[in-house]
Amino acid sequence: MAEYIHSEVLVSAQWVADHANDPNVRIVESDEDVLLYEVGHIENAIKIDWQIDLQDQLIRDYIDKEKFEKLLSDKGISNDSTVVFYGDKSNWWACYAMWVFKLFGHENCLIMNGGRQKWIEEERPITKEVPNFPKTDYKVASTNDAIRAFRDDVVKHIGSGNPLIDVRSPKEFSGELLHMEAYPQEGALRGGHIPGADNVPWATAANEDGTFKSADELQSIYMEGKGLKEGDDIIAYCRIGERSSHTWFVLTYLLGFKDVKNYDGSWTEWGNLVKAPIEK
Amino acid sequence: MLHCSAAPLFTLTLMTKIEEIIEAFQEADYQETLAMLLDYSESLPKLPEKYIEQRDAGFNRVPECETPVFVWIEVKDGLVQIDADVPEESPTVRGFVSLLVDSFSGVTPEEVQSAPQNLVHNLGLDQKLGTRRMFGLSAVYNRIKSSVKEASSLQ
Repeated sequence: MAEYIHSEVLVSAQWVADHANDPNVRIVESDEDVLLYEVGHIENAIKIDWQIDLQDQLIRDYIDKEKFEKLLSDKGISNDSTVVFYGDKSNWWACYAMWVFKLFGHENCLIMNGGRQKWIEEERPITKEVPNFPKTDYKVASTNDAIRAFRDDVVKHIGSGNPLIDVRSPKEFSGELLHMEAYPQEGALRGGHIPGADNVPWATAANEDGTFKSADELQSIYMEGKGLKEGDDIIAYCRIGERSSHTWFVLTYLLGFKDVKNYDGSWTEWGNLVKAPIEK
Repeated sequence: MLHCSAAPLFTLTLMTKIEEIIEAFQEADYQETLAMLLDYSESLPKLPEKYIEQRDAGFNRVPECETPVFVWIEVKDGLVQIDADVPEESPTVRGFVSLLVDSFSGVTPEEVQSAPQNLVHNLGLDQKLGTRRMFGLSAVYNRIKSSVKEASSLQ
């Protein structure tokens, strides 16, 4: 049986329970539902919201370096903290938050396998108490643009013939739907996919209980199934760049690909871009 | 000489429940908004027994919302009655639906129709909680409004 290449970044609910009071560990909950944390969370978990905290509220981008430093300092996360992320929807948003942390070069990031769903299913305790950690003086040493693709990178990528993974649903990929079902306003003017992209819906990598599929299963999906091979330079995209961060995590940490980028402009940029080539 | 019979200069109209709620939300900051929504989520009345079988069979689900939201609307003696069910794991939607149940149960269908068209925006939820989360809420709201209209025209 194959092992995850970087199995050290995936920890169990038990590991998190054992480290809830470890001063070197900060637990971060990131959910799609903005109220879930308030309903109850793991002891000492901090809330970081993908939309309110991590995205710029004016232009379509993430917060800048100074705002990130302030956010982490206020939350009591220091440069050498080990940050373990968990959340709803098979850790979809936890992976997204981790990707943003990695954009700002945070070293030690972990994911709690199974996320919030598994924690609750195991009947582990939750609390409404919000921790108040001492402020830190967080400093971003350097940003890490190697994990982020912009549209010009995608244009070059298409020409190079390197793999492009579209993680949306098959109906969005085929162009039958202009948006994800039930998310009508996140549409684009054109349907279809970026030429040359292969469709692997993000949830293919997740089990029913929210955990990641085994290394053997993941290898068979992405490597045997889609022909990805060691050394490949890969770009993943979806609609706004969040589902693809789940795939980014799987390819980078569980399968060990060294060069994986998330195109966060994704279909809401590409499908609205004048003269951008589209395949159906 | 003062004429007591003169028409009043203005008529004091009572704010409707939904207007009061809008005012409270408009004054609330992010944390207060979350706290109010959480209160609503926790106080959604239990679904009456008589609807449980229908819910389990998948009837009365709002199709436009990704979260499973089930709504029953009746107009009885000229007043609206709303019953609803939303999973506890979706507290934002559950809180919003509970707010609608609270505002619109026991009022006239006309009052429901006169509520603002873009309620989610009037409550400030899009600004405070992020616009990307609000599509499902608007869909539930529109569905409830149109169902009330339908139910009242059947009277």
